[in-house]
Amino acid sequence: MLETMAEESISNGFIKNPVTGSNPAVVAKKRNLPGTPDPEAEVIALSPKTLTATNRFLCEICGKGFQREQNLQLHRRGHNLPWKLKQRTTKEVRKRVYVCPEKTCVHHHPSRALGDLTGIKKHFYRKHGEKKWKCEKCSKRYAVQSDWKAHSKTCGTREYKCDCGTLFSRRDSFITHRAFCDALAEETARVNAASGMHSLAAENFNYQLMGNPLDTVMPFSTVFNPISSNDEAVDQTRRGFSLWMGQASQGYDSFGKSTLQEIHQFGSLNPGSIYGDPMVSTSNPPVSDYQLNWVFGNKVSSGNVEDHRLSSTSLPFSNVKENGPQLVSVPSLFSTQQQSHQTPAFSMSATALLQKAAQIGATSTDTAFLGSFGTKCSNSQVQDGNKHSDLYVSNTPSDLENSANGISTLNQLQMYPAKRRRMQNEDSGGGGGGGETRDFLGVGVQVICHPSSISGWK
Amino acid sequence: MKLSSAKLSKESKGASPSHGGHHKKSLHSKRPSHCSVLPLRPVDQLEQWPSATVDMYNSDNNHHHHHCHQQQQQQAQTSHTSTSRSSDYLAGGRGDSGEASGAGDKWALRLLKECARAIFDKDSSKVHHLLWMLNELASPYGDCDQKLASYFLQALFCKATESGRRCFKTLTSVAEKSHSFDSARKLILKFQEVSPWTTFGHVAANGAILEALDGESKLHIIDISNTLCTQWPTLLEALATRNDDTPHLKLTVVITENIVRSVMKEISQRMEKFARLMGVPFEFNVISGPNHLGELTKEALGVLEDEAVTVNCIGALRRVSVEERASVIQMFRSLGPNVVTFVEEEADFSTTRHDFVKCFEECLKFYTSYFEMLQESFTATSNEKLMLERECSRSIVMVLACDDDQDNEGECERRERGTQWSERLNQAFSPVGFSDDVVDDVKALLKRYKAGWALAQPHQKETGLYLTWKEEPVVWVSAWKPLKHSQNYRN
Repeated sequence: MLETMAEESISNGFIKNPVTGSNPAVVAKKRNLPGTPDPEAEVIALSPKTLTATNRFLCEICGKGFQREQNLQLHRRGHNLPWKLKQRTTKEVRKRVYVCPEKTCVHHHPSRALGDLTGIKKHFYRKHGEKKWKCEKCSKRYAVQSDWKAHSKTCGTREYKCDCGTLFSRRDSFITHRAFCDALAEETARVNAASGMHSLAAENFNYQLMGNPLDTVMPFSTVFNPISSNDEAVDQTRRGFSLWMGQASQGYDSFGKSTLQEIHQFGSLNPGSIYGDPMVSTSNPPVSDYQLNWVFGNKVSSGNVEDHRLSSTSLPFSNVKENGPQLVSVPSLFSTQQQSHQTPAFSMSATALLQKAAQIGATSTDTAFLGSFGTKCSNSQVQDGNKHSDLYVSNTPSDLENSANGISTLNQLQMYPAKRRRMQNEDSGGGGGGGETRDFLGVGVQVICHPSSISGWK
Repeated sequence: MKLSSAKLSKESKGASPSHGGHHKKSLHSKRPSHCSVLPLRPVDQLEQWPSATVDMYNSDNNHHHHHCHQQQQQQAQTSHTSTSRSSDYLAGGRGDSGEASGAGDKWALRLLKECARAIFDKDSSKVHHLLWMLNELASPYGDCDQKLASYFLQALFCKATESGRRCFKTLTSVAEKSHSFDSARKLILKFQEVSPWTTFGHVAANGAILEALDGESKLHIIDISNTLCTQWPTLLEALATRNDDTPHLKLTVVITENIVRSVMKEISQRMEKFARLMGVPFEFNVISGPNHLGELTKEALGVLEDEAVTVNCIGALRRVSVEERASVIQMFRSLGPNVVTFVEEEADFSTTRHDFVKCFEECLKFYTSYFEMLQESFTATSNEKLMLERECSRSIVMVLACDDDQDNEGECERRERGTQWSERLNQAFSPVGFSDDVVDDVKALLKRYKAGWALAQPHQKETGLYLTWKEEPVVWVSAWKPLKHSQNYRN
């Protein structure tokens, strides 16, 4: 699955945005299927043998093979050819696109051809090849050596930091610790915990940059399917949203205390994904449209409904459009994932957001986005709710400021400002939440997470 | 300390082995209570006992030496914990003492084995001699040999004086008093951080459970263990993230150690909270009633018809008295589980239970390995390591010094090897192999720990996976599914 998405993203990146700044190999998001590749392009169908051949470029003088054309050219210089022969003999060829030789593959058809030779090669290995490269630390397997190398660099280097301040280098001991940590037990830390836990839940996503974001997406997608009532939808989206928070905040391995540095570690992925969304719909004046567009974002505009995963979630939301902002949250999570892929289109705003985030992150307490949000939430609940809701509607730059604190938190506050205030006021005591399953969100998650209601969803 | 209290009570009650001689009584009665246990400066002792065997039985000498030593004992009390002293001792002791003193690295093992044999042979004078020697050399704060000597000495003493039951009860009540959620949590988490002893079984079992229950929407895990639910957070996380539909999980914990009872309330709160955070619909129950696992029923466990059941036993089978094990296994089968996972420590205290010396040697071998593992996994001054060692003392006393006939209230500790468990389990179950992914996960887990650990996959006839420490199998994990009804089990 992942590879499909990755490949699509790569193909999209190469065909649609040849000068994209994003790193396709890192993007593991669901993308819209591309439109047709350049109709003028010459479709090349290489045989598997040719595709996997490592030295395609042969020197006509000595027959030596090279992996890249540039290397061949460099080599040819060494033959001291007369000037005439140094020139490229062929004129500029027209653009080439490549199809996958595997008949059962989506990319076998010329309309789904990939525009880059390296891309098609990697696709072929990833999808149809044997996974020869294995990470020593976590025994994850890869078919493409560069994928494996990239993973190995980050594998095991991720540090997990719990709210209580303990650092872990191992994910499993981090999870186990988290379950028993006192920070988890405290109600006041529930937001942090929630965000953190979401990042935990989304850890798969984080951990494997080229991994399967949709695998982590998937568990929550079905949550949103059977929406029978508005309330349920709201609850679901809230829950899903909160759960998605972590996924959106990819860089945050620590529970609510990830730092900007960690975000930057993930490079463009995080900022794009986190901050891309709000910017998408800046141009849409009506609030409801804004929200809707934000939610569906590129999905709607690109008219893509082919992706079955997204479509499964988009349907319910079309029903609950009228419920307003609250329902937007869930789809936004999906579109969030698309954002990083479409970073070029929104690069300006994403960068601006990131800068804002950096400022805010620097000025806020040392705890980063989610952490600061948590602090805000618990300390100045009402105020934040008001502020956020106002900002949200107005779409002013202060929006950025708040969103810099995490799309998730921003959404939460914006989406459910009234309710959140109410809940937080009620919970000011912090305690056991009246015996209810008041949760990290403190936003009535007890409804969501109550077993009966949960089963009702399914 | 425990030994002295045991000895004190022994004195007060006047109890003594039937074969005790007069000189033994005088030996003990003359000895001030406080100095009978504390490790003395052995070098001093040994110098006065050039020929250890002879002097032991000379009551006059005994009295004389004891009086002499009192002062030294008092001086030595304050410093007996230093390990440098112990190494001094070892160096000094080697040359001076006679046949029974430890020479070389394995003095503790040798002395202990000899003492065990002497007890079995009912050679009281030798028993006294060796017990005394061990007492001098042992310390729960010294190096591995000294620790082993200390804990096994206690068991040997209880065996010799038939005070095992009482000693066990005392140890249990002491442990209960100092047991709290915080201390237990800290202990187990720290242990899991430095050693895969427990996490090995968890990872393998979770992998087997997830694969066997894949696609099920209502899961019921019956956890018979004392792991304080440390196995389940990673499973919950896996359920939350890797499945399209997060199933409903009901976790029923059956605790087999009374000590754990008090903290289960707190554990349940944490687990419920955590499951909420993970977004996994969760129900948690604790069953701590029955002392005999065989008494459990489907109703008592709350097993419902539409649930996919799995039974997860971590160190639980060994707590069942040997005679009841077959019926307990049948009880598991009657619950109709999809998969049953077992994790047990690799040692045989069961077939040897009628042969004291053999059992003793098995026990010593296992705990030597365990203590060495603890020594190398924890830091030298770790409090957790000390607590784990102390926890062993109860098991050791139970296995070596308590009769199986007595109703030990589910505190039996007679371990069996994986092959032996497999024989039993084959009566009601057929083995399920661990998939390559799970094996890979386990291997990756072991890589995260210090060197010395490895995974051993047994040969064809055997089932399960073994965790090996320095190439010795120490923990066994296996997964089973019930035999179909048409398959009759062999008696």
